[in-house]
Amino acid sequence: MSAAPAVNVARSAVKPDGRWRAAIAARRTKALTPRKLLKRDQNGLPVPHVHVIVRDTHQSRVADHYNSTLRDDLMYMNYTHKPADSKPPRNIRLSYDLEDPYVKHRYNPPIGGSFAWTRQALPPVTYENVVELECIQLHTMVKDALQSKSHLLGAIMAFRAISGLSTEQGGQRTTEGVQIVRGKKQVQGWMRRKAPVGVKVDIKGPQMYDFIGTLVHFVFPRMREFNGIPLPRQSSSLISASAASGVVSFGLPPMAMGLFPQIEYNMDAYPNNYGMHIHFIANTRGEGAQNRVRTLLSGFQIPFVRA
Amino acid sequence: MDIVAVHLAQVSRSLATAAESSASVPLSEGVTEATVAALRPSYKQVIKKRSDDTVVQTGIILNRSPILTRTPTRLERAYYAYMQRIERALHNPVPTEFYFKSGSLLEGIFNREENARERKAWGRPGAKPRKAQSSGNALGEENESGLLPGEEPPPQLMSRITEADRKGDVMSLDRKGERNLYLLVQARDEAGKDVWRFPQAVVGKEELLHEAVHRELRSPFGLGMDTWVVSRKPIGLYRPSVEPQPYLFFYKAHILAGQARPDGKSVLDFAWLSKEEITPRVDKSYWNGVKDMLSDF
Repeated sequence: MSAAPAVNVARSAVKPDGRWRAAIAARRTKALTPRKLLKRDQNGLPVPHVHVIVRDTHQSRVADHYNSTLRDDLMYMNYTHKPADSKPPRNIRLSYDLEDPYVKHRYNPPIGGSFAWTRQALPPVTYENVVELECIQLHTMVKDALQSKSHLLGAIMAFRAISGLSTEQGGQRTTEGVQIVRGKKQVQGWMRRKAPVGVKVDIKGPQMYDFIGTLVHFVFPRMREFNGIPLPRQSSSLISASAASGVVSFGLPPMAMGLFPQIEYNMDAYPNNYGMHIHFIANTRGEGAQNRVRTLLSGFQIPFVRA
Repeated sequence: MDIVAVHLAQVSRSLATAAESSASVPLSEGVTEATVAALRPSYKQVIKKRSDDTVVQTGIILNRSPILTRTPTRLERAYYAYMQRIERALHNPVPTEFYFKSGSLLEGIFNREENARERKAWGRPGAKPRKAQSSGNALGEENESGLLPGEEPPPQLMSRITEADRKGDVMSLDRKGERNLYLLVQARDEAGKDVWRFPQAVVGKEELLHEAVHRELRSPFGLGMDTWVVSRKPIGLYRPSVEPQPYLFFYKAHILAGQARPDGKSVLDFAWLSKEEITPRVDKSYWNGVKDMLSDF
């Protein structure tokens, strides 16, 4: 007890308070000053030491809704109860030992054919694998682009305005922005191989949830004669590729483009109205996965009706 | 028979939000005797397993989901502000020559708004930081009112704190908009004591578990509410420590509109409470049984 103040007194006698502060400040400044000057890019602008990436810039209301309410409800709705003493299902297919030297480097064809995944039962629902959206893809084909590529410009700009995305924006190297879609095959009178005929954009993360919010609150309520997205017949197969791939798709007519607030702001700038396909891609795959994704989407208030 | 018919009608109404369960349920609004009869065999199978002296009860966890976005913490606010500045620094400039005719009114408005956003992110050299405006109008500095002729004033935001928050009115559904609220009722237990618990119903001899839930929600106590039961499967089970008491299967439901009405007989009082407010009101063993079915936030 008595020693400590004595030391303090002694120190303050050697260095007065102001000099201490100045010494600390000098040391801090030295530590903060970069040793080398930053590299410059071709425009003469400094390149930072680290790769700067833009992450979430705001709280997403729809994503919050998913996390606080929908996630729990979907888990309860899709849950299948299995008594603790039930036997595991018998594996009726042959299974390879992948470490066996005979099969190690051979082509290993999927058991049950290349479409076996459509017949695979969905895994039992746990809190970890609740159905969740991964990506929304918008896609449009501009047929006039076969005559002149410049007709794509309006669609590119419209998608850029709707999605707010551009290539590698904010330092995110996986963000592809608006991409050009090219013809795959030569079809006489309709399509040329490798000709640019459409545009698409993948929306992920918080922007994806914001897009759902826009769709549900601005576009759907103002569409005329829109009752909802038609459901397939009840008897339709659950093991077709579309029913099992966990993707729900529908189209918007060209008149719906002007209902997006981003487009409505300067409607005159666009040479045309473009309809679009919207694909909701989720993290689930297997028999009847599409229905699970529909359940998820209806939780975001996207309406479905029986045709 | 009546209960089944009404229940089927309800299921078909709630189908818009339960697309997957539609496969096994008839869709027509008018439920015929034939469809009910078709369902009967499975009923018998279930009910046959239940011995005569078993008493089963269902509880309802009636939830009011958050109606406001969560208030971000200080760290989150700082993080978002930082990310917004980075985003502004790295963003591709808007190609105004495509989106606007040069010299048009819209271009002028856009440029002014863009300048305001730029200033908000970086400030002006030599200027003091502006105070946050309550109206949130970005054009306020150029013009006194900030409005162009024909432009409507921006809407005023409602307060996130309501009258019910100020009064601490536990019966109001407007309280604690950011939180999950749960309906707790005060009722008389077997010993004649008044206890707080979740709404519950005794499952009849010829009844399935989820039917008892729907029956309870249609009783005088729940008639004023528009509710939706999330699934036909229970979300949890409470095993009371004292053996003669019945097992309690819990179902999750959401309130969509309306309000609970205490009928004075089975339900004396009610309250909409968040998780930590429920703790002191209920019995300790009951709390340990139900606490994991409730959202922490």
